[in-house]
Amino acid sequence: MEVLIEKVEEEEEAEQEEGAERPVKPEKMTKLLQKETTTLTQETLRNMEQKMLEIKVPVPKEPLTKDTIDTSKLPLSYKINTPKEEQLLQVADNFSRQYSHLCPDRVPLLLYPLNECHVPKFVSTTIRPTLMPYSDLYNWDSCAQFVSDFLTMVPLPDPLKLPRYLYSSTTVLRYQKGNCFDFSTLLCSMLIGSGYDAYCVNGYASQDLCLMDLTREVCPLTMKAKKVVRKVEKAPPKKYAIKPPRDLTSRFEQEQELKRQREMKAAEEKRLREEEERLLEAEKAAPDSLHGLRVHSWVLVLSGKREVPESFFIDPFTAHSYSTQDDHFLGIESLWNHKNYWVNMQDCWNGCKDLVFDLGDPVRWEYLLLGTDKPHLMAGDEDNGVSEDDDDVENLGKEDEEKSFDMPHSWVEPIEISPEAFETRCPSGKKVIQYKRAKLEKWAPYLNSNGLMCRLTTYEDLECTRIVEIKEWYENREDMLELKHMNKITGLNIDYFKPGHPQALRVHTYKSMLPENDRAMEFYESARVDSLIRREETPDTMTEYFQERPDFLSYRQVNYGPRIKKPAPSSTESNPRPVVKITERFRRNPAKPADEDVAERVFLIMDERIQLRYHCREDYITASKREFLRRTEVDSKGNKIIMTPDMCISFEVEPMEHTKKLLYQYETMMQLKSEEKLSRHQAWESELEVLEILKLREEEEETHVLTISIYDTKRNEKSREYREALERVMHEEHLRQMETQLDYLAPFLAQLPPGEKMTRWQAVRLKDECLSDFKQRLIDKANLIQARFEKESQELQKKQQWYQENQVTLTPEDKDLYLSYCSQAMFRIRILEQRLSRHKELAPLKYLALEEKLYKEPRLAEFLKSFA
Amino acid sequence: MNRLYDSMEPRVMDDELLKLAVAEQGPREEAGQLAKQEGILFKDVLSLQLDFQNILRIDNLWQFENLRKLQLDNNVIERIEGLENLIHLVWLDLSFNNIETIEGLDTLVNLEDLSLFNNRISKIDSLDALVKLQVLSLGNNEIFNMMNIIYLRRFKDLRTLSLSGNPISEAEDYKMFVCAYLPDLVYLDFRRIDDLTREVAEIKYQYTIDELKHRETLTQAQQEEARAQREELEVHKAGFIEHFNSSFLFDSMYAEDTEGNKLACLPGVSELLEAYPFNYKDKFVIICLNIFEYGLKQQEKRKVEIDTFNECIQEAIRENQEQGKQKIIEFEEKHLQNLSAIREESEMPVIEMKIVECGEDITQLFNVLMTLELQLVEQLEETINIFERNIIDLVGLFIENVQSLMAQCRDLENHHHEKLLEISINTLEKIVKGELDEDLPDDVRTLFVDKDTIVNAVGASHDIHLLKIDNREDELITRVNSWCTHLVDKIHTDEIMRNRKRVKEINQYTDHMQNELDNLEFGDILD
Repeated sequence: MEVLIEKVEEEEEAEQEEGAERPVKPEKMTKLLQKETTTLTQETLRNMEQKMLEIKVPVPKEPLTKDTIDTSKLPLSYKINTPKEEQLLQVADNFSRQYSHLCPDRVPLLLYPLNECHVPKFVSTTIRPTLMPYSDLYNWDSCAQFVSDFLTMVPLPDPLKLPRYLYSSTTVLRYQKGNCFDFSTLLCSMLIGSGYDAYCVNGYASQDLCLMDLTREVCPLTMKAKKVVRKVEKAPPKKYAIKPPRDLTSRFEQEQELKRQREMKAAEEKRLREEEERLLEAEKAAPDSLHGLRVHSWVLVLSGKREVPESFFIDPFTAHSYSTQDDHFLGIESLWNHKNYWVNMQDCWNGCKDLVFDLGDPVRWEYLLLGTDKPHLMAGDEDNGVSEDDDDVENLGKEDEEKSFDMPHSWVEPIEISPEAFETRCPSGKKVIQYKRAKLEKWAPYLNSNGLMCRLTTYEDLECTRIVEIKEWYENREDMLELKHMNKITGLNIDYFKPGHPQALRVHTYKSMLPENDRAMEFYESARVDSLIRREETPDTMTEYFQERPDFLSYRQVNYGPRIKKPAPSSTESNPRPVVKITERFRRNPAKPADEDVAERVFLIMDERIQLRYHCREDYITASKREFLRRTEVDSKGNKIIMTPDMCISFEVEPMEHTKKLLYQYETMMQLKSEEKLSRHQAWESELEVLEILKLREEEEETHVLTISIYDTKRNEKSREYREALERVMHEEHLRQMETQLDYLAPFLAQLPPGEKMTRWQAVRLKDECLSDFKQRLIDKANLIQARFEKESQELQKKQQWYQENQVTLTPEDKDLYLSYCSQAMFRIRILEQRLSRHKELAPLKYLALEEKLYKEPRLAEFLKSFA
Repeated sequence: MNRLYDSMEPRVMDDELLKLAVAEQGPREEAGQLAKQEGILFKDVLSLQLDFQNILRIDNLWQFENLRKLQLDNNVIERIEGLENLIHLVWLDLSFNNIETIEGLDTLVNLEDLSLFNNRISKIDSLDALVKLQVLSLGNNEIFNMMNIIYLRRFKDLRTLSLSGNPISEAEDYKMFVCAYLPDLVYLDFRRIDDLTREVAEIKYQYTIDELKHRETLTQAQQEEARAQREELEVHKAGFIEHFNSSFLFDSMYAEDTEGNKLACLPGVSELLEAYPFNYKDKFVIICLNIFEYGLKQQEKRKVEIDTFNECIQEAIRENQEQGKQKIIEFEEKHLQNLSAIREESEMPVIEMKIVECGEDITQLFNVLMTLELQLVEQLEETINIFERNIIDLVGLFIENVQSLMAQCRDLENHHHEKLLEISINTLEKIVKGELDEDLPDDVRTLFVDKDTIVNAVGASHDIHLLKIDNREDELITRVNSWCTHLVDKIHTDEIMRNRKRVKEINQYTDHMQNELDNLEFGDILD
């Protein structure tokens, strides 16, 4: 192996030398621009290069060594080059030599690295545009995410040099490993396949990108969605808008106050900014000594196709998109797609910020093959035509050759991703990404028995030692748990559920699972009969919020008092907290007048009082109120006082006659009493429900059953069983059909001379034969049954005889054995008897049926008709 | 029924009878005791049962304003009367009586269930007001004409009907007929109408019903149209420019003008009047149309003005109310705390001090609320004044412009008058000279006796025309002005009313609070 590589190296060197020596066509020269100045001076660069060449460690270790790759099963296109590919390689070789001659101080291009079979292949042919069958992989973001998840990143053997090998995407996919070039080739293939105008880029990027170091990136999941600050549109003051009341405060004082506040704020801000800067300083990485030299490969998506409004970069390692002006990208050597190869002729002193991605501009981008479909964007058509004509005239041979030359078809097999692999995504189903102050772990579905898909751990410090919060995403859980949010600092846990939880739970916020503690539950109110939307609990209150109830109840708060200690310890279990107060609020019922529509009622159960507050009338500022004293009293004579005027204190906005009546008050109070009972009962039920939910939650946490979609044919046991059963039934059905289609005339027809038409005599004979045959069969069957019957009865007789003889000496076990045998034998005999009689009954019928059938048989009918 | 009638004297519905009935049917047990203590007012009664009382005349029911259900069955009532005040009535039972005609139900718009079973009714009518009627029982009566059923088509909610025991129910196709003509009916004669019967009936009477329906839709469309026209006229009237969109004014000018009509048959006059394009009538109508359009525009403007004004005022009031409510809520919270503190306190001097504090709080609330209200009053007054000025300006502009357009009309009339006079004098001269070719009707010829007569006649015609124009103008201006003053007055009075109401409310509230506090004081002292 090593010998081979060295050989290749030698060849390459030789080629380079050759290219340098070979005279370059003058028009090519004119096209090539002067070399750009990178951030480093030419001298240092050259020195470095020299050093690199000198250093040259004995064969850098390939991450995917050739030994591990099984090349035996690869198709032929991987192992040899077609003539066309050979031709292309020659063209590329030529190009490379011209290039190195014209730009001697630029690094050589990545044109035809070796593939896994050590065959040089042109980079463009390594891109195999493929449209994936998964709808999820239709858009660039999901594609990139898939590639970054699916492959494990392997750093380049030498961060400053181009790789010697570029494997096919199929191999990369099989081993799920690759360097940045493998990543971008695969991603590019997928993107071009789904219609994007995508290119593989060979260039230079920052250390973080090259090494997939996300520890300085803020995790995208931790970023909060920016709140869209909606500008409150200030309506222009209307013509008759009233003037505000005169402001009598001192303006001077206000100004002074404002000034003072501003100063304080400024000081505060300054302090904060300093703090922030200090933090930033700490976070900033040590300057990279190899800045600007690290080779990287990424993907460029140009605007135009698939409604991409603006060109952007995708880093295949992280699947993040960057603008083309991003600081991370420090320069571009070349880029290619499946059709052509372009070399950047623009200056990269300012990273990629000033690059113009107009690939049709031959001054900025030197192309390898002429006649691509890339339109010349900047230069006018006319100019182009002229220049090309000139080319033709001056340099017929080469241009003709190139012009007629198309990029050969890719040598790579179509990219295939099995559904299992697609679902598993990450190698062995698990992936961990370290972000700045955060760690993200991903799992494949059904890998964890509790449905855990993703966990994000956020830390307080950069070293990731003190956990701030943990977020866990779940999927396919039967309890519909979607997200678990655990705040380690406050100890607050929040569970989010998707619609479909048996108790319609949506969000559950709690600190501990013990009942009667601080907690809040939110519900999918449309799934609940009582339209409950939220229930909050503290140790001594329970507040419920309702929405859109037909009785207009919107709020209920129950206040509990301290538990009364009961002497009997046995009844501790059913010792509820005493209810002190129930407050209920109602929305306005438009069907009732405001004075009769209760807005709030408070049952002070301990004080035996009921307070009512009514809704406010349309143009009033005070609302009616009523207070009932529920206490039943006894007057001096010992009679019960039913109702006295001082048992009801009321304030009415507009005093009405009928409400003053004791009867009215009495009836209202009676009604309220019954409603109080009802409210207490509902509060009690709510308490029970909380207990039930908590119990259910605990059970769910313990068992964590996962649901399997009925469409998931692999995992769903039930559906598989069902399907198999169906298949079995189908199979049996098929067999039966085969049987019915059995031709009972076939054996007899076979006897006839083939190819001849049947005569009538033959037909009659055939029929008779068939019938007699059937008759024989019936008789045989009867005989068989008869024989079995006789045999069985004989055996029984023998046994009986034996029993009679040895009756005295037999042990009880033997006796039992004999008896059971007898009963079984009798049973068999009886069955045989029945069968025989049934056969006797049916045989003539069957015979007749066959005869009938034969008469109707189409093959014989014409002969037998006249006969009959 | 007859037996009852024979055995007992007919009774009168007097106060005693009613009181007894009310007391008997009133609440029971504890509530009953209370009711007895207090007595029940007739207007609080919701349901009243007066069956088997041998009542001859319905009377004395005017006090039962809120009655929902009234049972007067099995009496000897002969006329439906005295039910005018029971507008909330939903359920009325008048079965087993001696009623002969349906009457006196015109005010019972809420009635849903009416029973007139076993009476002597022979014709269904006078039920037009009962738009909510759902159940109608007319069994055992003397209805003999099938066409009575068509009358029932107007009750869209009618679901249950009983007509058995009437002469019509003897008819062969009675059931089919009812089903066909009342397709929304669910129960007939206490039985559910099955779908089959309904279908058969529909097919049987399809043609007649279709015809009926067609007629009904036609009348409805006509009514719609008439209503739309009326509405449009209303809109125009609100803009004070009704009839300006046609030649109505011009026609009215000539309607009472005998001389003008006579003169119209002079040669050349009809051309002057009618000939196209620059004749008198067309020009006149064009000006009228101008007035009309201008009037509509102005009306729109005024409407916008009023709407913005109302909106702003409402907004201001609402804002003020919110502030007031907020203040009250704040106060109530504090007050409640104070009161509970007082209740728990045992030291007399502390209690008194706290009570004084509470009293101060109430006064302060009163002051705050009153300040708010006064502030609002000031603000509103200013705005109202601005609005008043603007609306008066608008109206003034409108009047001015209309007047100038009317002046154009008058100019036209003057011009026409001159021309007419000229023609008339020419004709007179011709007649005098005997050169006139055409034959003139005799009554016209009588005008051409001498110059004075003809000038007088033409002048009279002119005067009438001018008078008409002037009248119309005056009418418009007076109406606009009166509308304007009315509007402004209303705004002022509304504002005053609002202010009074609010002040009263605030006073009432603070008084109540103070009273409560005083009571508390009392109670404490008693304790």
